[in-house]
Amino acid sequence: MSLDDFEAVLHPAFMAGLEGDAGAYRRFLDLIGGRLRGFLRGHLARAGLASVEEAEDVLQETLLALHLSRHTYDPAVPVSAWAHAIARYKLIDHLRRSGRHRGHLPIEDEALSQAAPGSAASDARLDVERALAALPERTRTLIDRVKLQGGSIAEAAQAAGMTETAAKVALHRGLKAMAKVLTRRGMRTP
Amino acid sequence: MKTDDLVTLLASDTGPVETAGFARATGLTALGGLAACSAAVLLMFGPRLDLAAAAMTLPVLAKFALGGSVAGLALIAFQRSLRPGRAAAGVLTLVLLPVAAVLAWAIAVLATQPMPAWPALMLGQSWSACLVLVPLYALLPLAGLFVLARRGAPVRPRLTGIAAGVGAAGLATLAYALHCPEDAVPFLATWYPLAMAVAGGLGALAGPRLLRW
Repeated sequence: MSLDDFEAVLHPAFMAGLEGDAGAYRRFLDLIGGRLRGFLRGHLARAGLASVEEAEDVLQETLLALHLSRHTYDPAVPVSAWAHAIARYKLIDHLRRSGRHRGHLPIEDEALSQAAPGSAASDARLDVERALAALPERTRTLIDRVKLQGGSIAEAAQAAGMTETAAKVALHRGLKAMAKVLTRRGMRTP
Repeated sequence: MKTDDLVTLLASDTGPVETAGFARATGLTALGGLAACSAAVLLMFGPRLDLAAAAMTLPVLAKFALGGSVAGLALIAFQRSLRPGRAAAGVLTLVLLPVAAVLAWAIAVLATQPMPAWPALMLGQSWSACLVLVPLYALLPLAGLFVLARRGAPVRPRLTGIAAGVGAAGLATLAYALHCPEDAVPFLATWYPLAMAVAGGLGALAGPRLLRW
């Protein structure tokens, strides 16, 4: 699929997601996730790091960052360019953190258009899992329940004995806290 | 966690999201920063004694125009740099235009004067005050801009830092012009741009350190 065709399906899904349409938003995440998986694997392979688990780690961190940065989307740019810029930032950050980013990494801007649409997902290593482990017990349980209930906040809230509103707030805060843990991980201590 | 499970989680955390916030927030932060700078200048030094008469003279207007245009352009770049995929470097380099304009004007002024008069025209009485105080006052809006930047997604944190520093120095220039008693164009063409460069350098150093996400 050319980048233009891709944008043509991605953009409406993302915009509907911004309006609160969960189904459309899920479609956006699946679309961009597949695309970015190919992009990240390609770049990690070119950097001599062919581990698909590692690509999955960066992908998960990128998806979390996309989710928490939705308010930074500028309607003047394509959604794919916005997502690509975030993935690129997270990839460079990942390489730098693990000490393998030696100055210039040739990540040309049209890279996304060449990315083979992602092949099947693989297992991540443990990064997001570890970030999850750093959350308070209550939030962790809630997140597990949402996962088990296939994304239904209402059912997860009921199972956790919380109101739906409280569960929504707790889930959002939990995701933010996970992103923070991921950012801080491996931060150079002065 | 499987990526699919993560996507399920993310998709369950939906609700309307507002994307129009940064331009307004940048404007409000800039106004707040300008007010803070002006208050600091007026409380510490007071306005220049002849401000009422001088405010409409060319040199003072030139300081306002320089500070205002540099602040405006740098803050547009700053705001854009918080939004991934949006190019910001081009707008930021436009701040060189007003700087080039005052430089050209200063050269034209110097050309009409004998060379022995040049040092006095460039150094004035207070060049070091300008060079130190403008970046110092710029720290006030700069702090606010960095707080705001942490809410954005700066994929080029150094660029965001430079834009914030230069923009803050533009605001500080507007405020310091209320006090600055120098009226020679070669003075303002030398020290204000240097002070802006110092603040931009501070931002360049601070950006990558403070704006990680």
